[in-house]
Amino acid sequence: MHTNNQDKIAIQLKEINKSYKKGSNNVVVHDHFNLSIAEGEFVALMGPSGLGKSTLLHLIGGLDLPTSGSVIINEQRIDTLSEGKLSTWRAENIGFVFQSHHLLPVLTAQGNVELPLLLTPLDNKQRKQHASLALRLVGMEERAKHLPKELSGGQEQRVAIARAIVSDPKIILCDEPTGNLDRKTADEILSLLTKLNKDYGKTIVMVTHDLRASEYASRVINLEQYIDAGQQNQLSALEE
Amino acid sequence: MNIFQLVWRNSFRKKTRFSLTCVSVVIAFFLFSLLAGINHALTSNVSSNNQYRLLTSHKISLARSLPLNYQQKISAIAGVESVSYASWFGGFFKDETHQLAVLAVDHNSYFEMFDEYDMPARQLEQWKKTRTGLVIGQAIANKYGWKVGDKVPLSSSIWMNRDGVFTWQFTVSAIYQSAGDASSEKQIFFQHAYFDKSRAYARNMVSWFTPKVHGDTDLDVVSQKIDTLFANSNGATRTTTEQVFIKERVQQFVDMAMIIKLVVIAVFFTLLLIVCNTMVQSNRERLNESAMMKALGFSSWFLIAQVYLESFFLLALGALLGCISAQLCLVYVSHLFTDFLPGIAIDKVHYLDVILLIFLAATLCSLLPALTLKRLTISNTLGAKA
Repeated sequence: MHTNNQDKIAIQLKEINKSYKKGSNNVVVHDHFNLSIAEGEFVALMGPSGLGKSTLLHLIGGLDLPTSGSVIINEQRIDTLSEGKLSTWRAENIGFVFQSHHLLPVLTAQGNVELPLLLTPLDNKQRKQHASLALRLVGMEERAKHLPKELSGGQEQRVAIARAIVSDPKIILCDEPTGNLDRKTADEILSLLTKLNKDYGKTIVMVTHDLRASEYASRVINLEQYIDAGQQNQLSALEE
Repeated sequence: MNIFQLVWRNSFRKKTRFSLTCVSVVIAFFLFSLLAGINHALTSNVSSNNQYRLLTSHKISLARSLPLNYQQKISAIAGVESVSYASWFGGFFKDETHQLAVLAVDHNSYFEMFDEYDMPARQLEQWKKTRTGLVIGQAIANKYGWKVGDKVPLSSSIWMNRDGVFTWQFTVSAIYQSAGDASSEKQIFFQHAYFDKSRAYARNMVSWFTPKVHGDTDLDVVSQKIDTLFANSNGATRTTTEQVFIKERVQQFVDMAMIIKLVVIAVFFTLLLIVCNTMVQSNRERLNESAMMKALGFSSWFLIAQVYLESFFLLALGALLGCISAQLCLVYVSHLFTDFLPGIAIDKVHYLDVILLIFLAATLCSLLPALTLKRLTISNTLGAKA
């Protein structure tokens, strides 16, 4: 699968094989999978459960490694990096937004957004300034002092987005970002992601089941088309 | 926001659990420090000021006396410089709750040999001239308000005098100070000559002799010679160095301390398991957050450091409170047992042990969470299997 976009390639997956051991069975999730995403694209990865959408997202984000093949992000091959180097690379290059926001309950919204900046050379004052700016971008500045339990689901997800963009990564990976939200809130979150894509040039890859969510993307990739029947059976077994 | 603030906030995430675990740590370190204070009293002052002094007592028991004429026989042994002697009077003031360490000693030789007792020469001379004279420690003088010239009646539960009573009349002649520990200023001495002439029984007998040998003499050889000399008599002797004698005397207490120590170690390790369990539980509850932090770019080592600091903080806080409580308790206890068991105090070295224990315990408590964090797979923990 290749992009028609002639712009610079931000994400490139080459001949990716990914399989899991489940008991004595070897479950193949991706078999010689190829994907290219250009810089500044907003891509929605769609398909039924169990087709490896999240796995793909995790491979792009360096959270998981392929069984074989190469993952190239911004011209850097990341699947060969050590665990430590991969952590540093993630901190500098990728922002994550998950379905469950995973905010630290002991920290305020401001504290949660500041968290990734602990890995940067910024001082305390600069970290606060960056976090405030990110919160302002997602419209949560007034809730900066609130703990996650004092926020609504949509507000928590906004804070999670602020945390994802605070260190100014070029790529934002979203795994079902609207999965736990009502329609109205989901639209707000998707509009926010579109804004980040259009106004700030962020490359966004979003895994979603939601057809309406996919309408916000500049490109939709349906994984169902790229997986054969036998592989689907295996994946369904894994899902069970 | 920094790692210490993160540790602080995570520590108080479950306040009840943190408080209960902290109380357990406080109790462990309280017991540990309390024992250290008592152990200090039991094992301190076991060193002698003079390595050339021997102690010759009855082979069977210290309670049995030896004939006074052994002094001349021991003095004649090659290598012996001088011989002094003493008898245990026991003694108490007014009633038996005010127990005192009172010794009848040879007034001609005792303080020449035991020169660690520091007193004015004029007072010492006065004591030698006064048959009923007492030499008392400064701590005793302070406690009872006694001064030179005071008439002091002391009673003995062992020795009756020739008047048929157990209360003996004395006059304070000298007050000594001790260069080292103030607890050694609690002894009282009087003339053995007065004791021997006035007691109703066991005259010309002493509790023990203290031979002093020349500096170049082999202590073991002299000890053997003394014991061989009296081997076949009714008063067979056992001679040791003063250092060994004192150590043997406190051994019974040391054994007791060892038993208490073992119990406390058992308690400590049980509590260690409790803290370990708390840390493991706390870590397990936060696996999703840990996986998210890893996804954000935090290394396993950062997360392990966080767990270590949380363990350290919990243990250090508990240890601090435990040590302060023990210190306060020991101040009270040492006041209560000032005569019976002087020297109750926490030695500075103990705090070094406490610090080492905190580091060790924090490391042990962090081991299992560290392994979990090191093996933590972000994709599995955050729920992507396909």
